[in-house]
Amino acid sequence: MNGLRPDQAGWLLAGAAITLAPHTAHLPPALSAICALLLVWRGLIAHRGWRLPHRGLLMALAAGVVALVLMTFHQFFGKEPGIALLAGLLSLKLLETGSVRDGRAVVLLCFFLQLGQFFYQQNMAIAALALLGVIVAIASLLALEGSTAPPQARAREAAKLALQGMPLMLVLFVLFPRIQGPLWGLPDDAYNSVGGLSDSMAPGDLARLSESGAIAFRVSFEGDPPPPAERYWRGPVLTRFDGHTWRPDRVQDGAHPAYRPQGMAYPYVLTLEAHNRHWLLALDFPGATPGLRFTDDYQLLSPDAVQSRRRIALVSYPHTPVGRDESSLNLRAALQLPSGANPRTVELGQRLRAAAKSPDEIPPLAIAHFRASRLSYTLEPAPLGRDDVDNFLFDTRQGFCEHFAAAFVVTLRAAGVPARVVTGYQGGEPNPVDGTFVVRQSDAHAWAEVWLAGRGWIRIDPTAASAPQRIEKGLAAALPDSTHLPLMLRTDLAWLRGLRNRLDALNNSWNQWVLGYNPARQRELLSGFGFGEPDWQTLTALMSAGCALVMGGLTVWALRRRTSADAIDRSWALLCRRLAAIGLPRADWEGPLDYAARLARQRPDLAEPLNRIATDYARLRYGPAADTTQQQRFHQSIKNFRPR
Amino acid sequence: MSLAQFRARFQRWLFRVGGPEPAPIRLGQRRIFVLPSRFGLALGITLLAMLLASINYTLSLGFALTFLIGGVAWISIHHAFRNLVDLAITPGRSDAVFCGSPARFGILLHNAAHRSRLGLVLFPTQAPTLRTHPFDLSPESTATQEIAIPTATRGWLTLPRLTLETRHPLGLIRAWSLFQPDQRCLVYPAPEADAPPLPLGDDSRSGAGAQGRGRDDFAGLRHHQPADSPRHVAWKAVARGGPWRTKEFAGAGSRRAWLDWQQLPAGLGVEARLSRLARWIVDADASGIDYGLRLPGVELRPAHGAPHRHACLTALALFGAPDERSAS
Amino acid sequence: MPIHIARRLTEVASRIILGKERAVRLALACVLARGHLLIEDIPGVGKTTLAHVLARLLGLQFQRIQFTSDMLPADIVGVSVFDQREGAFRFHPGPVFAQLVLADEINRATPKAQSALLEAMEERQVSAEGTTWPLPEPFFVIATQNPSDQIGTFPLPESQLDRFLMRLSLGYPDRAAERALLAGEDRREMLARLPAELQPGELDALFAATRAVHVGPRLLDYVQNLLAASRDGANFALGLSPRAGLALLAAARAWALLHGRDHVQPEDVQAVLPAVAGHRLRAAEEMPLPPDRLVRRLIEAVALPG
Repeated sequence: MNGLRPDQAGWLLAGAAITLAPHTAHLPPALSAICALLLVWRGLIAHRGWRLPHRGLLMALAAGVVALVLMTFHQFFGKEPGIALLAGLLSLKLLETGSVRDGRAVVLLCFFLQLGQFFYQQNMAIAALALLGVIVAIASLLALEGSTAPPQARAREAAKLALQGMPLMLVLFVLFPRIQGPLWGLPDDAYNSVGGLSDSMAPGDLARLSESGAIAFRVSFEGDPPPPAERYWRGPVLTRFDGHTWRPDRVQDGAHPAYRPQGMAYPYVLTLEAHNRHWLLALDFPGATPGLRFTDDYQLLSPDAVQSRRRIALVSYPHTPVGRDESSLNLRAALQLPSGANPRTVELGQRLRAAAKSPDEIPPLAIAHFRASRLSYTLEPAPLGRDDVDNFLFDTRQGFCEHFAAAFVVTLRAAGVPARVVTGYQGGEPNPVDGTFVVRQSDAHAWAEVWLAGRGWIRIDPTAASAPQRIEKGLAAALPDSTHLPLMLRTDLAWLRGLRNRLDALNNSWNQWVLGYNPARQRELLSGFGFGEPDWQTLTALMSAGCALVMGGLTVWALRRRTSADAIDRSWALLCRRLAAIGLPRADWEGPLDYAARLARQRPDLAEPLNRIATDYARLRYGPAADTTQQQRFHQSIKNFRPR
Repeated sequence: MSLAQFRARFQRWLFRVGGPEPAPIRLGQRRIFVLPSRFGLALGITLLAMLLASINYTLSLGFALTFLIGGVAWISIHHAFRNLVDLAITPGRSDAVFCGSPARFGILLHNAAHRSRLGLVLFPTQAPTLRTHPFDLSPESTATQEIAIPTATRGWLTLPRLTLETRHPLGLIRAWSLFQPDQRCLVYPAPEADAPPLPLGDDSRSGAGAQGRGRDDFAGLRHHQPADSPRHVAWKAVARGGPWRTKEFAGAGSRRAWLDWQQLPAGLGVEARLSRLARWIVDADASGIDYGLRLPGVELRPAHGAPHRHACLTALALFGAPDERSAS
Repeated sequence: MPIHIARRLTEVASRIILGKERAVRLALACVLARGHLLIEDIPGVGKTTLAHVLARLLGLQFQRIQFTSDMLPADIVGVSVFDQREGAFRFHPGPVFAQLVLADEINRATPKAQSALLEAMEERQVSAEGTTWPLPEPFFVIATQNPSDQIGTFPLPESQLDRFLMRLSLGYPDRAAERALLAGEDRREMLARLPAELQPGELDALFAATRAVHVGPRLLDYVQNLLAASRDGANFALGLSPRAGLALLAAARAWALLHGRDHVQPEDVQAVLPAVAGHRLRAAEEMPLPPDRLVRRLIEAVALPG
C-alpha cells in the first residue's frame, strides 16, 4: 500500500534528488543511471498513484546494486563503495517507502549522503546545495508529521527552522573542540581523490595535470612579491631516470636547510590545499622554520602528510647560492643515465661537450641548440615512441614542460654536467581583490637544475627557451591556441577574469575560515579573544556556555506569552499585570467595569484612576468606534498608572 | 512489588498526578515533559556517526552540516514544549450511554495564546490506541476533543488519566503532559437484545400512580380531521349547521406501563433483570407511552419524556451502588 | 432622553417594591427587550405587585388572568359564540387581549390551558374559527409560577420555558426592606395613586433606543463564547439555543440602556445571564447544580481578554 500522501512522497523525492545529484559525478555511471531511473519511477508512483513495486522485485534490484558495487570496487569497505551502496539503498528505500516510518529512514539516509558529498568537494556551491538539501529534508519531516500546508508555506517554515538552528550551529562550529583526524586508521582510499604533483614524472603527466583549473595553493606575500621569473615553487626533485620515468633519489633531511639564506627575503603565508603528500611547495629557498624538515635537495617537507588545507608562514630567499659543496655521491647520481636509451640525445650531449671549452658553457650551448631545433610548446604533444627524449627532440618536436626538462637534463648528463629535474609550480596569478596569489594545478611545471663547479646548483628552465611567455605570463599566454584550456584560465575575457578574481577571493575566505577551520585555527581565533592557548577543557566549557546562552534565549522565547497584536488589549493586559503584581489580580472572566468596581471597594485610593481607565477601556473595546485621541489618552493613562 | 506496580508508582511520583483535578487544568511548564521520540534517537545516532566521520576525515562542512541538523533538532524541543505550555483543559460533556457502546468524554482545550497549537494528540494514558486524530488549535480559541472509552459495566465511569502529546514540528521530540479532568460518564445497563414485549397494563390495574389525569376530562374543541373518531365529534354544533369540530379529552388515548422488578421471572439474575428493564424503558419511551419503574427501594411514577427516561435508566445504572450522588 | 426615562422608571418602581431593585431592573429590561417574563416564587413576595407597577408605569392596558386547574383554553383566548341573529359565530376576545397580561400562577392550570397562553405569546396573535386576531401592540405576558414542588401543579415544560425571555425570583425582602414594608403605606393604595410615567409615544422611543444600543464585534465574540461553553461544557446537559443567544443580546441591550450606556459591555451580559439563561440551561446529571450556580459556572468558564 502506498500510505504516503503524494506531497509527502514529493518532498522525500526532492530531498533524495538534491542529495544524490552531486554524487552522480563520482558514482559508477551505471549506478547513477539506476538511481535516476528509480527516482523517476518513484515520482511516477506518487504522481500517478501507481502501486509500490513488489518486495521480491526490490530484493532483486538490491542484489543488482550490491553486485554492481562489488564489481566496480571489489570490496564494500571504504568510502567510495560505502557511498555507492548508500546511494543505491536510498533509491531503493524510496521505492519501498509506504509509511511515515520509512519516510523518516529516507531522511536519515539523505542526511548521511549529504555528508558524503563533502568527501569530494567542499566548495560554496556544494555547501549551498547541502543547505538546500537540509531545508528540503526538514520540509519532508514537516510533511511526514502531518502538516498539510501548501508547498511554499512549508518550505518557508522549513527555512525558518533551519534559520533558527543556525545560532546553535555557529556556536558548535566555532567552539566544538576540534581534534585533528583521523580518529582511527583511515581506509586506504581516504585521500585518493586529492590531485596534484606526484613523486614521479613520465611524459604527459604534467600536461594532464595542467588541464585542471583546481587550486594547488594560495600565497599571500607580506611585502612585494618576487618578479614572475623567480616564482618557482619547488616540489619533488627527480634525479633517477630509467629512460622513461623520473623518480626521486634517496634523500636525507634535517631540521635545518643545507644552505645559508642570503639576499632578498620574501615573507609570505602559504595556504596549501590537501594533497596527501609530505612536500610543501615553498618558493626557492625557504629559511629555517620550526617543525618542518629540509632535504638535501632543498625540498621543504612536512613531518606528516598534508591531509587537510594547511597554512604555513615562510620566508624565502631566492638569491641564495646552494650546493657549492655538493657531495660526490649526489653528483654521481645526477650524472646517471640508463645505458642504451635515447642514443641520439646522448650523442648530442657528447657533441656539445666537445664543442665547449668549459662545463660552464655547456648549458648555454644546449639552450641554443634547443632554440634552433624549433621545438614547440603544446599541451597535446604527439605520442612518443620508445626513446621518449630522442623522439621529442628530433622527431615530433612538440612537447610540454616535462619533455623540455627531461630532454635538457639527459643532454647535459650526456655532456657530463650533473643535472636533475625539479617539479613544482611556476607562476601564479595575483588576485587584485585580496592580493593573494593563486597557484593552480595548471601552473604545474618541470624545470632543470644544473650543477656547475663553484656555482653550485643553478636553475635552468628549458621551457623558457622555446616559450618564454610561459614563464613571464603563464600557461595561457604561452600556448598557441588556448581553446583547449578550461574557460576559467582564458585571459581574453576581462570581465570573466574580474569575476573569477572576486570568486577566488571569496573562495579564499571560505577556505581560510570555513574549510580551514582546524584545531590550529580554532586556537588562534580563541587566543585572539584572550583565552590564551585554550585546551579542550576550556573549549568544552566555552561551548557549553555558548550552548547554554542559545538555549536560555530559546527558553525565554518559548515561555514568552506573546501579547495581543491589538494595542488596546496590550495596554489593558499591562494594567492587569501591574495590579496582579500588587495582589489585586483580575479574574479571567471579570469585565473591566466590574473589576474596577471591586478594586474600588478594596482600595478606595485607587478608585478614581481605575474607574476612569476601566470606563475608557470598556468604551474603546466595546463601544462604537473611537477616535485616536481617546486611544492615546487611554494608553497614556495606563502608562502613568503605577499602583503600589 | 511487581515491575508494573513499581512503574506505576514511579510514574505517579515523576508526573505528580494524583486523582482527578479541579478545572481548569493549566499545563504549566513543570507539567510538560520532553523526550526524544524513537525517530529522534535514530537521528541522534545518525548525527553522532556524521560527527565521527567529520572528525575522522576532517570535513569542515561535515561539522557544519552535523551541527546545523543538530541545531534544528534542538530547536524542535522548544517548539514541542511551546506547543503545549499554557494550554488549559476543562471537562466537557459526557452524555450517558448504554453499556457496550463507548462512553464519549468531551474534553475542552483552551488556547489563550496568540499562536496556533499544531499536531496535538489526546489519549488515555493507559490506552494509547484510543487516541484522537491529530488536531490543531487556532489562536485564542477553545476546541472540544472527544475521547471514546469502551464500557463494560454499568454505573459511573470515571474518565481515566489522559495524555496530551505532540511531536510537532519534526517528529523528533515527544512532548507530553498528563492530567485527569474531574469527569465521569453514566453507563446504563445494556438493553436486552431479545426481551419479551413491553408489559402494557390497563388502567384498572394501574394502581398507585394513576392519580391526576382523568380519562374523560373535556379539554376543548378543535378542527375536525377525517381520522378523528366519530365518537368525539361535536355533533351538537354540526346539527346547528356549524363546522365539524372534534371534542378533545385530556389523557385520551394514553396507555401506561409499570415496569416492575418484582414481576420479572424469579430465575433471572440482577444484571439480566436490569438489562430487560432497560430494554422496556427504551421501547416504552420510543412508543411514547407513560411508564413507571419499580425497583427494590425505588419507585418512579409513570411519566414520559427525556428526563423521565434518563431518571429511570439512571436508577437502573446505579442500582445496588452506594449513593455517590450526594458525595460527588 | 430615553436614558433618563429608563432611570426614572427604575426609581419609581423601586419606591413601591422595596429592596428588590435588581429584580425590578431586570423586569424593566425584559419589557424593554420586548420579552415575556416568568416570575417564579412562593406566594406573597410581591409578584403581582411588580406586574401592576410595571403596567402602571409604562401606561399599559393591564389584564390579570388567575390560572386555575379547571381553566380551559377558551377562558384565555376567548370563545366563538354562535350568534342566532347573524347566523354566524362571533368571537368574544378573552382576557389575553391586553397590552400587559399577568398570568398568575400559571402552573395551576392544565398543560392545555397553559399552551393556549404560550401560543398567544409566541405568535402575538390568536387564531379562532379560521380567523386570526392580532393581539394588542405592545404585548407582554408576565407569568408567575409557584415553585414546582408544591402539590397539584403542572410545572411548565422545558420547551415552553424558552418562550420567556427571563425568569426571575424575588425572594424574601431583607430585614430593612421588610420593616419599611410593614411600617409603610399599603402598597395597593400607592399603586392606585401611581400615575403613568410614560406618554403614549415614549414607550416606542424606548424600544427604539434599546434596539439602537451598540453591540461591537468583541461583545459578539464574548456572547458566542458563552453559547459555545454552554454547549460543550461538562456542567450543562442542554446548551443555550440560538434563540437564547438572541434573547441574551436583547436583554443585555436593555440592561445597558437602563444603566445609561450606548453600548453593551460584557458586564451587561453577565448581569442578565442568570435571568435569561437560568431557565434554559439544564444541569448535567453528572454534576447537578442549582440554576444560579450553573450560570455562575458558565460565566466563569469564559475568559475576557486581559
